[in-house]
Amino acid sequence: MVDIIEISIVAVGTFLAMAMFSTLYGKSNPLYSLAEESYLGFGTGLTIVINVLYIWKTGVVNIQAGDWILTFGLILGLMILLRMNKNYNWIARLGIAVVLGAQFALSFRTLIFTNFIQQISATIVPLFTGTGTELLYRWTITICVIVMLTFFLYTTELKGPLLWSSKLGEYLLYIAFGAIFAQTFMGRLGLFTGFMQNYTVPPWQTPYLLASMIIVLAIVIILDRTKTIDKWIPEE
Amino acid sequence: MANNGGILKFMAEYDRRWIYLLIFVVVVAPLLQPLGFPISVSPDTEVYHKILADVKPGDKVLFTLDTEFSGYMEIQSGIIASMRILLNRGAKICVAVGHPEATSIPQLVFDACSAELTAGGYQYGRDYVNLGYILPNESAVAALAEDFHSTVRQDAKGASIAGTFLDDVKDWSSWALIADFTTGLGTAYLRAHFALRGTPMTVNVIGVMSPTERPFYDSGIYKAILNSMRGGAELEYLIGHPGPGMTAMDAFTLGHYLLIGFIIIGNIGYFGYSRRQAKKT
Repeated sequence: MVDIIEISIVAVGTFLAMAMFSTLYGKSNPLYSLAEESYLGFGTGLTIVINVLYIWKTGVVNIQAGDWILTFGLILGLMILLRMNKNYNWIARLGIAVVLGAQFALSFRTLIFTNFIQQISATIVPLFTGTGTELLYRWTITICVIVMLTFFLYTTELKGPLLWSSKLGEYLLYIAFGAIFAQTFMGRLGLFTGFMQNYTVPPWQTPYLLASMIIVLAIVIILDRTKTIDKWIPEE
Repeated sequence: MANNGGILKFMAEYDRRWIYLLIFVVVVAPLLQPLGFPISVSPDTEVYHKILADVKPGDKVLFTLDTEFSGYMEIQSGIIASMRILLNRGAKICVAVGHPEATSIPQLVFDACSAELTAGGYQYGRDYVNLGYILPNESAVAALAEDFHSTVRQDAKGASIAGTFLDDVKDWSSWALIADFTTGLGTAYLRAHFALRGTPMTVNVIGVMSPTERPFYDSGIYKAILNSMRGGAELEYLIGHPGPGMTAMDAFTLGHYLLIGFIIIGNIGYFGYSRRQAKKT
């Protein structure tokens, strides 16, 4: 038996979601504004609460356990909040400088391995040993890397084999862009399908979903036809 | 439009709202009335399944949810199927979250896998723990990799983790596997501070992220990669436990057919109309 709270959650959820999708109609409308502002409000509130809990759990609790050095972290964090004060916003720079410096140091020492050295070493593969499929993949990787790199030679006049290699590299890039587009579409469709599935399984939710679709679409069309669609949008 | 420029102009310039409307129809209709299209399993998913199925009883697995709630909708099939495999293998599971919106996801996953939890005799604390939101940024992930217990002392509900199976966890080397489920938030940090050091790591990515994460699999930093909802459906098929992934595959397939159809129609319209205009002039 489904209780009234669950029904309310589904009814409000589907309505706000369909209101969000109403942007696809191609015109700003009050329902979209309502959904957008609600999402921003809830999202910001949730983020603040969860992060305060995080600071408590990993900061205050650890200080209580004797890890007093974290006190400096809390003080630096509080200093960043002074950004909002006109007279003392310069103090925030110290906290920001520490954060940026630490972040840069942490990232730099690892990114150079994951994004650079490991990627180069992965293209240095044995080209004459292995099964037929392995050899096909390895030769494809090697040839494509070399050919595509020639496309990015900007300081040399491209002629002869270099020009052909550059052209081939360009077309290979187009193929890669096509694959990325297809993958992106798959991702977006996956998000949409997953969302829709969330409101069609279990089946008792389906009428609320369909009703929300029809109501939102009808409201937007009526507002558009009566030329009142802009009237109800809040000013920024 | 069609009257003025003919069918070719209509094909090239039709109102894009028709596309949105048709996508709504082809996605919702199969969800309401499944068609049962067959699916095949990709080599990537087979590798992913093998890595998870090779986990030994008692192995400690860090199960990280680096996803917003919207992303969870796409990869929930992979998350739930992976959790089922790990529970059936008898792994000890520590769930960690990398986004405020994901804090409600662990309970959904445990609810979906309640049969496996019961069958395996799983007890909270002894066999699994939910740490909640502990992966907000790179500093936090780096600290966890260096010294686990000086970074985290409480679980998601604020209870002490002392006395749980996490007592045995010291640093990055204590984990037998990191199973990451991501929309692209903290994965780079886990990759840099755990996988690069040698902790085996698998990822289940949303489709948009797949092209950017793929090189890290090809270069051996990830042990396996599971792509989007499609990968999740394949994993469900491999473990013989249909779930949200497999039931969504009809909509997924029809959505792609629709896109191909629109690309063909648009190109025929564009090139046909352009050629006709060129001939006129």
